[in-house]
Amino acid sequence: MARSRPEIGQVAPAFTAVDSAGRTLRSDSFRGKPLVLEWHNPECPFAGKHYESGNMQALQRHAIARGGAWLTVFSLPAGSMGHVEGVEAEFLFEKRRSAPTALVMDPTTRVAAAFGALTTPHVFLIDAAGRLAYQGGVDSIASTRIEDIAIAVPYLRNAIDAVATGRAPDPATSRPYGCPLKYLPGA
Amino acid sequence: MRFLAALVFALLAALPARAQAPVSAVAETENVRAELLAEVGAIKPGQVFRMGLHQKLREGWHTYWRNAGDAGLPIELKLTLPPGFTAGPLIWPRPKVYDLSGVVSYGYENEVLLMLEVTPPATSPPDTIRITAEATWLVCEDVCIPEEAKFAIELAVSPEGRAAPAEVQRLFDAARRAVPLASPWSARYGVARNGDPTVVIDAKGLQADRLSELYFFPADWGVAAHMPRQNIVIGPDSIRIPMRKGDGKGKPPETFAGTLVMTEQTGDAKTVQAFDVTAKFDASFQPPPLSTSAAQSELDLWEALLFALLGGMILNLMPCVFPVLAMKAASFAQFAGASRRRVRMDGFAYGGGVLLSFAVMAAILAIIRHVFGGVDWGFQFQNPVFTLLMAYLFFVIGLNLSGVFEIGGSFVGVGQGFAAREGSSGSFATGVLAVVVATPCTAPFMAAALGFALTQPVPVLVAVLLAMGVGFALPYVALTLTPALQKVLPRPGTWMIRFKQFLAFPMYASAVWMIWVLVQQSGADSVLYALGGMVLIGFAIWIWISGMAAGRMALFGRAAVLLALGTALAATVKLQPGEAASTEATGSGVVMEGWEKFSRIRMNDAVAKGKPVFVDFTAAWCITCLANERAALETTATRRAFEQAGVVKLKGDWTKRDAEISSVLKEYGRAGVPLYLYWPPGAHEPRVLPQVLTEALVLSELSQVPP
Repeated sequence: MARSRPEIGQVAPAFTAVDSAGRTLRSDSFRGKPLVLEWHNPECPFAGKHYESGNMQALQRHAIARGGAWLTVFSLPAGSMGHVEGVEAEFLFEKRRSAPTALVMDPTTRVAAAFGALTTPHVFLIDAAGRLAYQGGVDSIASTRIEDIAIAVPYLRNAIDAVATGRAPDPATSRPYGCPLKYLPGA
Repeated sequence: MRFLAALVFALLAALPARAQAPVSAVAETENVRAELLAEVGAIKPGQVFRMGLHQKLREGWHTYWRNAGDAGLPIELKLTLPPGFTAGPLIWPRPKVYDLSGVVSYGYENEVLLMLEVTPPATSPPDTIRITAEATWLVCEDVCIPEEAKFAIELAVSPEGRAAPAEVQRLFDAARRAVPLASPWSARYGVARNGDPTVVIDAKGLQADRLSELYFFPADWGVAAHMPRQNIVIGPDSIRIPMRKGDGKGKPPETFAGTLVMTEQTGDAKTVQAFDVTAKFDASFQPPPLSTSAAQSELDLWEALLFALLGGMILNLMPCVFPVLAMKAASFAQFAGASRRRVRMDGFAYGGGVLLSFAVMAAILAIIRHVFGGVDWGFQFQNPVFTLLMAYLFFVIGLNLSGVFEIGGSFVGVGQGFAAREGSSGSFATGVLAVVVATPCTAPFMAAALGFALTQPVPVLVAVLLAMGVGFALPYVALTLTPALQKVLPRPGTWMIRFKQFLAFPMYASAVWMIWVLVQQSGADSVLYALGGMVLIGFAIWIWISGMAAGRMALFGRAAVLLALGTALAATVKLQPGEAASTEATGSGVVMEGWEKFSRIRMNDAVAKGKPVFVDFTAAWCITCLANERAALETTATRRAFEQAGVVKLKGDWTKRDAEISSVLKEYGRAGVPLYLYWPPGAHEPRVLPQVLTEALVLSELSQVPP
C-alpha cells in the first residue's frame, strides 16, 4: 500500500491523540490559527541536522510568534529505533531548547497514517480554516549537512509567512526528506 | 629514533615504485565496506575506461538509487582527476523496491557497483597518476546513517594499457549487466483528470505470460507516487503503466523519465532486463484515474448520471418525438376527475415501458461487456484507427442532424400512429414502442451514450442507461401528473428542426477534436487521410440520397458508394501507430540488417566449408534477445570483430514459431529463444553461448584460436 495523503487546499484530517504529559489533545482545538505538524525521530540524523543547528527551534518560535501553533509528532512504535516515552521526549526537548506547542505521542502511527507522513522530519502546515496549505520538506536541500541549511530555500518558513499574510505557499508541496517512518502493521 | 624516522621516510618514498598495481582505497564503516575501483590495471592514453564505487552492505541495510523514493538519499560520488582527464555522469545499476509498510524507497542491498566513464588525454606520458574521490551515502535500516568517505587510487599509464585483475573485471561485468539499456521503444504519458499519470510504451507483440515482476522506477520525484506495486498491463501493442500521482504540483513536464525493470522467462531461465524510458507528454491522452478518492469517483458518477438524465430529456425535443408529446399533453388537459386518475396510471405505465426498454439495452451492453471483460475499452482511444472511425462517426451524425440525409422512413406517420393509441393497457407497450419508434432520430445520441457506457464498469453502465431512460420518460410522466404544465410547452414548429440542426455543430466540433487527437497519435499526414475520408463519405451519401444508387443506374451508383466508403476506411491502414514506429523493422519486428536469414541448408553449407558461423535465434517478443543484441551483438566493437573474422551471421526469427527453427532449438535442448551458436573456423560442433551475452564474452569467443 502506498501512503495516501490529504490534498493541498482540502480540510486536513482531524485527530485525537495523547500529548507527552498524557493529556488528550484534539486537533480541532487549534482551529482559527495556523498549525504546523512536524514528524520527529530523535535518532534520525536528518532531524539532528535541524535541531543541532537550532533551525527547527527557530522555526517553532517563528510559527508561534506569527500566531500559529506547532505540534511535534512522535510516530514511533514501541521497540522501534528512536521510540521514547512522554517524559523522555520532554526531557529531550528541554535539553534542545525547543519550543513546540505540544509533543504528540503516536506510537500506534494512526496520526501518521491519516496524513501519509513518510519521513522524519516531514512537515505539514494547516491554515486557520483547517485546510492543508503545505506539506513536504523543511527546506530544499535533502542532506544531513548543517552547512546546507544556510543555502537551502526555507520552504516551511516561507509557507508559514505566506499563510500568516493570507497567501498560498509556493511551492505548496516539496519532497520530504529524512529517515523512513516505520508504521505499525495495519496502520 | 632519528634513524627510525629516516627509515620510515625512506620506505614511504619508495612506495610509488610499487604503484604498478593500483592502490585502491577502502573505507569501512559499521554498515558499509566501500572501495574505489578501476577497470584497468594500467591506463592506455586516450582510451576510455570505467571506474566505480563498490559497496558491500550489512544485511538488512540499504543505500539508494538516483531517485531514492519516499525516504533516503542517493549515493554521491565526486572524482578529482589529473589535468586533461574528464569523467562522465554516474551510471546507475537498476534498483530494487523496498516497501517499509507503505514507505517505499528505491535502492540496493548486499552489494552495488556505481560506475562512471573516465577519458584520459590521448597524450598523457607513461607515468603514474593519482585519482582521489569523495563519496557520501545514506545507509538505512530502521534508522538512517549518513556516511562519507575519501578514497585515493594510483594507476599506471602505459602505451598498451593493461586489464584489471580478474575479480575486479568480474565485478564490472556483473554491474554492466545490471545497467539499464536505452529503450528500444518510444513512450508517451498522459495524465488523468485527477493527476494520475499513465505511461504507455509502444512495444508490440510482447507476450504477457513470459514477463513478470514489472516495475517502472520514476527517475525523479514529483510526477508519480512511489508505489509498492504497480499493475502494469502488457497489451498486444504496448505496455501500459498506470500510476498514482506524485506530490509535484503544476503542469505535467514535457518528459517523464524512468527505468522499466522486468523479469523474462526465456526457454529455460529467468533473466532480469531493464530499460531507460523517456515518455513524452501527450496532451490528447487522458487515461482513467488509478486512484480516485471516494469523493472524486462519486462526483464523476453524479456528473455522468446528470448528463444522461439531461440527454434523455433532450431526446424528447427531437422532431420525431416532440409532436407526439405535445399532442398527448393537449389531450390530457381535457380530462378531469376519474379520467385524470386514468391519465396518471397511463403516465406511470408509459414510464415503466420506457425504463424497461432502457433496462433491456443495459442488459445487452452488460453482456457484451462481460463477454469482452478482458478488453480494456479505454485502451481503444489510443488506437489511431479507432480515433479515425470516431471522427467519421461524429461527422456522419453531424450530417444527419444537419438534415443532409435521414435514416429510415417516414417518422411523422409512425409518431402519429403512436399518439393516437388510447387506453392504459396499451400505455406500457407504448412506452416500449416510444423508445423503438424514436430510434431514427435519437440513434446518433444513443450511439454516443452507449459508447461511453461501454467503457464503464457494469453498475455504472446500468445506472447511466437507466438515468437516460428516466430523462426520456420524465416530461411525459410530468405532464400526466400535472396537465397544466402543457401551457409552458412550446408549440411544435420549425424551431424543432432548427434545434436539431444546431446540434450538428457540437458533432462537427467533436470530429475536429478527434482529428486533432489523431494528429497527436500518428502525425500530420493523418489530417489528409481523415479529411479525405470525410469527403469520400460525403460523396457516398450524396450518391445514395440522390437516388443514383437505385433505378437504372443502380449498379453503377452502388459501386461508387462502396468504392468511396471502402477508400475512406482504407485510410485507416495508412495510419502509423505513433511517429516512432521503427522504420528498419521487418514484418515481425526483428531487425535483419547485417544478418542473413537463417536456414538449415545455409548453416550446414557454411559450416561444411569451414567458415566461422554465428547463429542468433531470436523473436520480436523476446526482450532478453533484444537486450543481448543491444548490449553485445550490435555494438561497434562486435560488428567490427564479426567483420574481421569473416563470420557468417545468420539470424533465425522465431516470432511465429517457425518449425525449422523449433527443430534446431530442440536439438540443443532449448524450449525457446534466445539460443546463440558459434562455430569457430573449421569446427564441426558449435559452441553454445549463454543466454545472457556481454560484449566481452562475444569478443573473446570470436578471438579464440580454432582447435
